[in-house]
Amino acid sequence: MEKEIKRIITVLVGICALFVSLVVYLTYFQVFKASDIKANSYNKRLWINEEKILRGSIIDRNGRILAYSEKDGDTYNRIYNYGNLYSHIIGYSYRDYGKANLELHYNNVLLNISESSALNELRNLVEPNSEGNTLVLTIDHHLQEYSRNLLKGKKGAIVAMNPATGEIYAMVSLPDFNPSTLREDWVNIVEDENSPLLNRVTSGLYQPGSTFKVVTTAALLENNILLNQYECTGSTIIDGYELKDYAGKGHGNINLEKALIYSCNPYFAESSLQLGIDRFSEVAERFMLNKEIDFDLPVKKSFFPKRSVGKTDIAAASIGQGKVLVTPLNMALIASGIANKGDIVKPVLVKEIISKNGKIIDTFEVEVISRAVDIFTANELKNMMVYSVNIGTGKNAKINNVRVAGKTGTAENPSGKDHAWFIGFAPAEDPQVAVAVLLEEEGSTGGSSAAPIARNIILEALRTINN
Amino acid sequence: MFSKGINYKVPRNLLFIFEMIALFLMFMYYKNSLDRSTIIYGLSLIFIVYISNFLLLKITTGDNYIFLIVTMLSSIGIIMIYRINPQQGFKQIVWIGLGIVLFFATYFMIKKIKSLKSWFIYYFFASIALFGMTLLLGERFKGAINWISIGGITFQPTEVIKILTIFLIASYYANYDKFKEKKWGNYYLVGIMYLFIFFLFLQRDLGSVLIFSSLFLALQYIYHEDRKLVLLNFAVLILSSILGYIIFPHVRIRFEIWINPWEHIDTTGYQITQSLFAIAEGGFFGTGLGLGHPDFIPEVSKDFIFSAICEEMGILTGIGIIMLFLILVYRGFKISINQKNKFFRIVALGISILFGIQSFIIFGGVVKMIPLTGITIPFVSYGGSSMLSSFIALGILQVASEELDIEEV
Repeated sequence: MEKEIKRIITVLVGICALFVSLVVYLTYFQVFKASDIKANSYNKRLWINEEKILRGSIIDRNGRILAYSEKDGDTYNRIYNYGNLYSHIIGYSYRDYGKANLELHYNNVLLNISESSALNELRNLVEPNSEGNTLVLTIDHHLQEYSRNLLKGKKGAIVAMNPATGEIYAMVSLPDFNPSTLREDWVNIVEDENSPLLNRVTSGLYQPGSTFKVVTTAALLENNILLNQYECTGSTIIDGYELKDYAGKGHGNINLEKALIYSCNPYFAESSLQLGIDRFSEVAERFMLNKEIDFDLPVKKSFFPKRSVGKTDIAAASIGQGKVLVTPLNMALIASGIANKGDIVKPVLVKEIISKNGKIIDTFEVEVISRAVDIFTANELKNMMVYSVNIGTGKNAKINNVRVAGKTGTAENPSGKDHAWFIGFAPAEDPQVAVAVLLEEEGSTGGSSAAPIARNIILEALRTINN
Repeated sequence: MFSKGINYKVPRNLLFIFEMIALFLMFMYYKNSLDRSTIIYGLSLIFIVYISNFLLLKITTGDNYIFLIVTMLSSIGIIMIYRINPQQGFKQIVWIGLGIVLFFATYFMIKKIKSLKSWFIYYFFASIALFGMTLLLGERFKGAINWISIGGITFQPTEVIKILTIFLIASYYANYDKFKEKKWGNYYLVGIMYLFIFFLFLQRDLGSVLIFSSLFLALQYIYHEDRKLVLLNFAVLILSSILGYIIFPHVRIRFEIWINPWEHIDTTGYQITQSLFAIAEGGFFGTGLGLGHPDFIPEVSKDFIFSAICEEMGILTGIGIIMLFLILVYRGFKISINQKNKFFRIVALGISILFGIQSFIIFGGVVKMIPLTGITIPFVSYGGSSMLSSFIALGILQVASEELDIEEV
């Protein structure tokens, strides 16, 4: 009898454990999994609400309509006015292929539905929801179109932004795709080895090459490591590895300023070893490497090595090679930070949200996300970058009567031809626009191919955009 | 009397209030298609439930919570079923009413019969006959044969066999000393159980295979004296389930769907993913009655009623239902431990384990914690066979909760 009762209780405990695990699982499911599952495009609940609502329009900063919805019988059709031009910004919204980019991340705003469905139902009782909100972008349609034309036929990325407010004026990533003909092109798009669905600006990770020397320079200035009588012979040996200059011929007797202007690799390699990885990475992280960048679209984290790094890794990092990987957006933020007295502001794509009655219900706010350097260091960097454009490697970015600050980069690419880079801003005394240009596997120097594109964009932006 | 009002501390009254509010909500939801008979049926069900709970208090000397718990479960079930499909809800009201009648009938009948314990051989042959009938006359439904139709009435013989099996196991162990003396007597039950499980496997009724195996293993664990045999059985059942996975594609498919239903979302994984959408959509508090879309789930009023409840009433109600089953099982075990008569002690255990395991398998299945096998939640899901057999089982449990004047032989 005693034994029997003991065993009965064991079975009871077993069943109780099953039930308790059920409760735990259900709670876990609801807390951690539910939101992802709900967003699955097979969930008909998403569509049943959406199909009754006129999806809001998306317009550029000057009010030009980029995407809108139109009634077609019982359903609404989404029209994208400019084909490929906004594929990586606006994206697409299809019942069968799901959503991407702003159409995805601002879905609830575009449909004017709140997170809680109970709240929606309540609100629907009072005032049936029939029309979504309009998104006003920070994009300037003219500059966007102009920038894409400059990049046409190439692979790469362009960002142009306001360094003081974070407003993105243009954001181009090529190759791209046409959201209007997505259904017909889907198989080709998915199978294309150049990945047209990838937004290179936010999600492409590249070695920054010499453009990264502005970060190295900032670290050297801050820590007062200035090799004033450095004799550059065109190469240096670090831990048995030879590190060469791009042209391979020496720069002679130089200091930090000249090293940046002429992009001298041995100088930065040698001085970064004095700097050490801890001080170096601390500055790099203030320039948003290894950091999440909060944006209206998801951004990949740029990478700066911190652990298990040898001398060669530090030397390579100082010239933007080796393990350092950045997104073009991050490089634009670095240029913006220097332009904006050392403060990096949050990049913004959505300027305003306007309700169907024309009321502005949300406006972006300027937010400093990192104090990268102090104003003195920023000024010194700015002057060096101006020289770099005036007399150094960035001559092709020069504009008459406007002082342009910039830095070129040619990144050795272990898996193909070199990437060409240019980052910069203008006018140097009162920066209105900052740019980052990346030409993927271009096979030429940043000075010869990326700098002229950046120049034209800066010129066009200064000419046409008025705040 | 009126000055006293309703005593809110009496659970019966709380249940009454709950039902009235839910009924009112339902009528509001269907206010355009409401007819008088629905209101009369709804109100009469509430009345029957109230009176039954009240009467039972006077009649029985045993447990007066299990019936209350079960009427609560049925109430939640009926609200959900009625909301999904008023016609089904209407029928379900009839089934619950009939179930309550059968509960009392079983209660009085079982109390009168004194020789239940010695009918081992009848239980066996009755079960075999029912299995034979299923295989001969059964209709394949969703891959499993578990329905037969006689004169226009369809029912699931497995539901009856469950109760017969509990009686069979109970009478075996109640007479264990006699069986032990016979040659091979130690192995009678093991042989029979494997035969039953084999039959269920032939019917491709995997859910029932799971229920019968666990029921058998649990009771054998408690009562069998040959401990090696218990261990061996455990090993054999695990081994054969692995073997079943390798040999039979329909078993393998269930596992694959469980591991990654999203891959098969258009085909075999459709039901479970729809169920997950519903539960995810509900959140903790639910969308509110009539405000969700549980009708997107196929077979929602039977196997997936739990997902529908989670969507519209929230997982807090879902957890509430799980807790109600937990209390029901706990009361069942308590009844068993207090029962002096060995036969009824085992019967009470068997019924409690049955309620517990069956509800766990389907709860776990629809939330994708374990592979999904289509079975009903006792007292909650739509369906006559399940409802009636569950109420019969409850009637037996009610008898077992009383002090019985049967001689222990």
